[in-house]
Amino acid sequence: MSKIILIGSPNSGKSLLFNRMTGLHHKVANFPGITVDVGLGRMRSMPDVELVDFPGTYSLQAISAEEQVAVEHFERALDDAEVSHVLCVIDATRLEKSLYFTLQVIRDCERHGKPVTVLANMVDVLDNHKLVLDFTALAKELETPVFPVSARSGKGLEALVSHLQASSTVAREAPRARLLDSPDVLLRGTAHQLAHRYGAKGDILIRTQTRLDSFFLSSLSGGVAFFVIMYLLFQSIFTWSAPAMDAVEALLGLMADQVVPRISNQVGRDFTSDALFGGIGAFLVFVPQIFVLTFIIGLLEDSGYMARAALICHKPLRLFGLTGKSFIPMLSGVACAIPAIYAARAIDSPRKRLLTYMAIPLMPCSARLPVYTLLIAAFIPSGTALGGLVGWQGLAMFGIYFFGMFTGLVVTGLVSRTSKDHYTDLPFVLELPPYRVPGLVPLLRNAWNRAKHFVTKAGKIIFTVTLVIWVLGYFPNYGADLGTSWLGFLGHIVEPLFAPLGLDWRYAVAILTSFLAREVFVGTLGTIFGIEAADENMTPLVQQIQASDLSIGSGLALLVFFAIALQCVSTLAILAKESESRTLALKMFVAYLLLAYAAALAIFHLAGLLGG
Amino acid sequence: MNLSLWSLKAGQRCEILGYDQQLADNYRTRMMEFGFHPGETVSCVQSLAFGAPKVYRVSNTIYSLDEEVASHLQVRLLAAHE
Repeated sequence: MSKIILIGSPNSGKSLLFNRMTGLHHKVANFPGITVDVGLGRMRSMPDVELVDFPGTYSLQAISAEEQVAVEHFERALDDAEVSHVLCVIDATRLEKSLYFTLQVIRDCERHGKPVTVLANMVDVLDNHKLVLDFTALAKELETPVFPVSARSGKGLEALVSHLQASSTVAREAPRARLLDSPDVLLRGTAHQLAHRYGAKGDILIRTQTRLDSFFLSSLSGGVAFFVIMYLLFQSIFTWSAPAMDAVEALLGLMADQVVPRISNQVGRDFTSDALFGGIGAFLVFVPQIFVLTFIIGLLEDSGYMARAALICHKPLRLFGLTGKSFIPMLSGVACAIPAIYAARAIDSPRKRLLTYMAIPLMPCSARLPVYTLLIAAFIPSGTALGGLVGWQGLAMFGIYFFGMFTGLVVTGLVSRTSKDHYTDLPFVLELPPYRVPGLVPLLRNAWNRAKHFVTKAGKIIFTVTLVIWVLGYFPNYGADLGTSWLGFLGHIVEPLFAPLGLDWRYAVAILTSFLAREVFVGTLGTIFGIEAADENMTPLVQQIQASDLSIGSGLALLVFFAIALQCVSTLAILAKESESRTLALKMFVAYLLLAYAAALAIFHLAGLLGG
Repeated sequence: MNLSLWSLKAGQRCEILGYDQQLADNYRTRMMEFGFHPGETVSCVQSLAFGAPKVYRVSNTIYSLDEEVASHLQVRLLAAHE
């Protein structure tokens, strides 16, 4: 099959153009070794041609390891006999930032004998401002066809398709010697001159952007807008996703009710009910949250606000080795680490992305909430101070949330100052794109793809681990008593490890099962203490724990342990997939486990010294 | 008077004179790719509080630069009529 490469600088409207030309029917692939998406899709008007959407880049002269991989991949693609044409997308409203890259692409295509066509996108914006640019003269200067197009309206695409169909049957022209040997420095100068000669003059194109920026970036109105938008984002993760999450749970419950009674074999029935529906339900319930968060983040990105949010947060996060772009993933992590790890894709610096990955699991995710609620109810008195203004339990909840976030920042701050890795960091130079009204369909498609990625990629790992834990907890007594199961046996084996924290085998088993998902801790303790549906009504379990001679020091140690330990198999699976490194996921798991244990031990002894 | 780009206040314009030797070559190259060429006019659109990155306009594109980059660009302040 013949292939056409689509390449262009960031914010040139390339993705929208790709979606329009392929009708959105594309799949997503990754470069080997890093997470850079390449879109693949058949062209609607040329079904025998596959369009390959390369990641946006400012230059073919890479300045980081990640850019180098993308550039090398492009150069390899130029040697591919199946590649018949290269389309270079530029932003017609801002030629200055696009033409140097365009000249590099033209030169490299000539070197590899590939025809190239320049697509001057966003001519609809020029039309709206009654601006006319001389693309014919520009094409002569570039010695390359230039097609004015609009990805938004579809203007110019018919002419482009006719050109592509014609060029596939016309013999290639001889390479141009002028560009073939041109060094980058000469191309930069040429691009600069061409942009001044043919680019839009005056500030008419950025007046609206400047007006909106004076609102969104001012200290007062910008600060208020930032908090309102972040509040809405947070609400979307927690509140707006909840009905869909409940619906998924209810649907699975309904299916289980229909299927399970039809199975005559007891083991088969328990397996289907607990491992199959329970296991699938444990991770499918996250799908609506991932969908909603991806949609909202896409909305912020496509509207142009995300770049402004990154700018506002950059300075404080830089103190901890992070970037402004780390803020949204970290905030998302307060709801759930899985969509947060996906959101970290927007961070272009590999080092900063790695540091953000390290911070995310320490954000107090919603799965920790039932555990915190149980332990705080069991160990922190329910009294108030300052005339009822401050409740001790509420203060404890705030404290443990703050502790998690603070630990995350301390970890990234320490790692960024002490580690030298192989990544070349990028300077903070952020293009502030024009504000635009996002297209609904691409946003929905993107959210759908992300949710599908979660189910297909992480699902297998999560289900396998679920199965192993179910087998360990079910046999050899067929689910009669968790204490005498293989899992209970394991709990007794690891009991000496938890004894220094004042915890016996029952808590050891609950901690072991919580590696499936943190909230399982509550249900497991309920099972061990013989309480039905402990995760829905905690009061009897709280009373049992209070009666079990567990000291306040052990309770606080458990709180701290859960605040730090990376006990979520779904998070680990997604971390391994997104970072393309199982080693990183494993190292983080071990490091946070050791840190959690050490911190818990310290708190236990400190509480002991204070008489707890 | 020669200044660094970082020292510009909101509303001020300048002409880029060059880069100091402390800025790494790859950073300098990337800045030129963005349009920050010697001789180019740049205006400071916004200067945010607490030392946050400043917002600059070059041609029809708006960029936000951190101090660690903007302080290495040497500029000449332009008067209103220039």
